[in-house]
Amino acid sequence: MALITTMLFFWTAIFVVVFMINRGIWVFTDVSKSMSMFMLEKALGPAIDFAEGRKGSGAKSWIIQGALWLIPGSTFTFSGLWLKHDPNALHSLASWGYSPTSEALILAGNLTTFYGAVGMLMIGASLHIVPTLGATKLASERNASLMSFLWTLSVAVMIVGAHKSEILGLKVLLIATAMHSLPLLAVIVNLLLTAASRTRKMALPAWLILVGLLSDPVSIVVLALLGMLDSGLGQWLLVRLVSGGFFFMQIAGISLYAASQGTGNPLWSRSLAAMTLLGSLIALNPLGDTTGTLAADMLGFEAGVFNPSSNDVIAGSFLMALASIPIIALSSNILVTMRGDDVFMENPDSPGMPEINLGALMLVPLGIGALFVQTDALTGGNELRGISISLQLMVAWLLIVPFALGAALSIYPAVTGRNLKSSIRSRWAFWLMAGGAFSGLLITMMADFSEIALAEAAVEEGSTISHDLRVIGSVLFYGTVIGSVFHCLNIISGTFRGSFVDEAPTPPSTSIEQASYNLTAGTTVRKILSSGANLDTEVVPVSQTDSLGSPTEL
Amino acid sequence: MTNANSNAIGEFLQGEGEPASSWLFLVLGVVTTLIFLVLYSILYPGNDLPVISSILPIFEGVFDSGIWFFILGVMIGVFAIIGTMLTEATSD
Repeated sequence: MALITTMLFFWTAIFVVVFMINRGIWVFTDVSKSMSMFMLEKALGPAIDFAEGRKGSGAKSWIIQGALWLIPGSTFTFSGLWLKHDPNALHSLASWGYSPTSEALILAGNLTTFYGAVGMLMIGASLHIVPTLGATKLASERNASLMSFLWTLSVAVMIVGAHKSEILGLKVLLIATAMHSLPLLAVIVNLLLTAASRTRKMALPAWLILVGLLSDPVSIVVLALLGMLDSGLGQWLLVRLVSGGFFFMQIAGISLYAASQGTGNPLWSRSLAAMTLLGSLIALNPLGDTTGTLAADMLGFEAGVFNPSSNDVIAGSFLMALASIPIIALSSNILVTMRGDDVFMENPDSPGMPEINLGALMLVPLGIGALFVQTDALTGGNELRGISISLQLMVAWLLIVPFALGAALSIYPAVTGRNLKSSIRSRWAFWLMAGGAFSGLLITMMADFSEIALAEAAVEEGSTISHDLRVIGSVLFYGTVIGSVFHCLNIISGTFRGSFVDEAPTPPSTSIEQASYNLTAGTTVRKILSSGANLDTEVVPVSQTDSLGSPTEL
Repeated sequence: MTNANSNAIGEFLQGEGEPASSWLFLVLGVVTTLIFLVLYSILYPGNDLPVISSILPIFEGVFDSGIWFFILGVMIGVFAIIGTMLTEATSD
């Protein structure tokens, strides 16, 4: 079936599903609500008693586990980058039966990062945002907590599957997909029940989250019904739909909420948020993998031959170019919301804000870069295939992870009732993660380009420049690993010893703090800043008098 | 020494706060160790370090890539997190 026809079916299905959810399912609404609630709690039997049912416990559980997955995610990626230039670095582990390749480690890193870290951080944030925007409480905190552990287990199986696709004749990634489908379904039902009990009109970020979550099963069902899951085009399309729906829309929803909540500024434009929602559904998102192999592996199919017709190429290229609209709309909406009326970002030291700022800044350049690489792959040129892995890693660590982590850090005090242990450590972790990912992956991409250039020039003698660049790139990426460890330590310590939210204000994150500065005479901004003032310091003009204790004109 | 003074001892006291400069002594210890290692190679050139030189060959062929230094760092980080979780959960 042609690409555009498949998309027509997808658009119809998702609009019908959203319409039905918004309006209720005719006379079955009450029955479906009580049945769903029963399935979430009582149907699970004694297992549900293991989980905590306090307010915010579901979100907290998902966020902490998501943050912990950042460490294996970044470590696998770092090791994969290292093995690119030193393939035998881990050969000593062969005696334990473990001899990974660079490709297997990068795949394990991507799966851990996208499903373990980003997936859990996004869902954790969603479990707080949807009830808050609906002015209600989460339908089942206990189910949300319990399902987080099943999701974590599925990510562990994914890591095994990335290294060894088949064990005892069983497809490991298919098992992982089946395992993570159950908690995903539970989360969707939980959030839909929460949305059904809303006491006010929900803002657009909540709808972005809900539609993003729903688009994942809807896209799989539509492609399965059309019999396209075993074709190369169908698998490629599924990767695009999951990337643009489940990941991009949820990321958009949580980061728009966090940008407003973290800075205290209202959301800049509702129209741009609506355009992000509509555009993400209609367009094909270019961010992510260029092939459909991962979709085939995760659903237990053989990878189909990707041979799109000329009409598919035109439709696909057009729909991917259309994705520029939601990408630019999201980026501009976040950036302006964070800045408010000022040139500078409001509350730049607030945990999570630098991450979201970074993600919003990187969104447009990485989106355009991904568009070039995807179009090149779709048309069969494959001239830029060499940089697709580096670009995908950049999308992961400079875009998706900062957005998900930033939103989670921003809502962390509201979820746990405590602030993070140290905002200084949080800022250090940000610089390490962002600096490591940016510099490390940029240099790795330079190595990719150098290899492409050498291959095109058909140079017979090997060059060491690519090898040297890969060494530097992988070592610099290590900053991301350390940053992940810092973030986790900060989150875990904060859970136990962070200051209570309603007890004390967020501790100052700068060593020099001055609440107000008395301006007695004309001076330079440099002198004011050097006296310990910062951007939040209030400059108070003081009139000069001769009274005792007042400034005297010299 | 009077009896009145002896009442002041016999009790273990530990402050809750950590002096800001205590880490200085840890750094001093590490630097001193490194200085002695350098001095040993200067004073006894060609001689292997006692004990360490007989332990290191055991790991030959195992940690023979630079990646292990980085993985060691990750392991320290993971143990720090586990340690933090355990101490925080069990502290008062």
